[in-house]
Amino acid sequence: MKTEESQNMSLKIAGLAEKAREGNRGSFQDLMIMFQKDIYRLVYYRTFSQMDAEDITQEVFVQAYRKIKTLHDPQRFRAWLYTIAVNRCNDFLRKKKYLFMLQSRSASEQEVEETGEMSRNFTDVIAKKKFWEQVRLLLDKLSARERQVFTLRFMDHRDINEIAAILGKNESTIKTHLYRALNKVREEAVFFQEYRESIS
Amino acid sequence: MKKLKDGHLLEEQIIRAVVDEKELSEEGQNHLVECRQCLRRVEQFKARMQEFGARAELFVPPLTKTMRLPQAEPLKTKYGSRWIPFAGAVAMAGIVLFFYFLGMDAMSPQMATVQSTEKLLEDEYLMREISDMVENPLPDDLYEITGDAAGFDDEFLQFVVPDFQEDFQS
Repeated sequence: MKTEESQNMSLKIAGLAEKAREGNRGSFQDLMIMFQKDIYRLVYYRTFSQMDAEDITQEVFVQAYRKIKTLHDPQRFRAWLYTIAVNRCNDFLRKKKYLFMLQSRSASEQEVEETGEMSRNFTDVIAKKKFWEQVRLLLDKLSARERQVFTLRFMDHRDINEIAAILGKNESTIKTHLYRALNKVREEAVFFQEYRESIS
Repeated sequence: MKKLKDGHLLEEQIIRAVVDEKELSEEGQNHLVECRQCLRRVEQFKARMQEFGARAELFVPPLTKTMRLPQAEPLKTKYGSRWIPFAGAVAMAGIVLFFYFLGMDAMSPQMATVQSTEKLLEDEYLMREISDMVENPLPDDLYEITGDAAGFDDEFLQFVVPDFQEDFQS
């Protein structure tokens, strides 16, 4: 049932991508509505900033709209869009690293402010802050490639073959990076404390 | 296949199974089907990762910005924008011709020299006319009345009307 739904969705996406490629603005808008939250989350997992994530998401869709004619296979629209988003994030992080952007405001401070705007519940804010701090610590333990693969697999919920398409690598390379990432995550993360306790 | 002493999968094999069960050897895959304990460990790990992903999704601040596409480009004509250089060249040629025939001649130094020469000639002609008028102030047909035409000269006039000074001396 779920597979059938997934297939129908894939067909719908491919159909819209085909029309968008032929210049149908409305079809692209439909695709944008379908994917904007996914892309926004993908960007947020890499920038940890709501404002930056929103701006980069906007840029991703503008770039995709301008380059839609270069999409050879409409069935691979999702992977193509994710590739654009991942590359945009990499560009942003590279610039941020070298230009020392946001130096005065740490990401955690920003996070508190953002979640504060979202919710007045103090406990909720603290829980979120703690969670993102842990995520950052966790991802810092990984190499750049491992981080990419881990995030795409477990936070963006992409399959191995999709990750391979997004990053332009073969599946066995992706699995190797994922295996290494999980090994490190298992050792480091608080999330897996219960799991470790259960097997010991 | 590497196994623990009690015959179960090693931790690294569990992780390999989480990545992809096909990554395990055939023996490992068979063991995973048969051993509930190992299967539970794999499922637990997967569940923990899913929970982590779900929590991350839940904790992302909401998207507040409305995404917009760039403005639609204006419809292109049959020839696109290829006519622009040609139109530019034609316009430029028109401007050049306009100045050449109408404006440029007035500004040309060569033409200015010709014009001033013409003016000089005109002036010279006018001066000559003035000189002639000074020398011969009356037209030819009036000379008979004045006597110039009859050939009276100064000696004749002196004879007819002597100077007052000569008369006084004599």
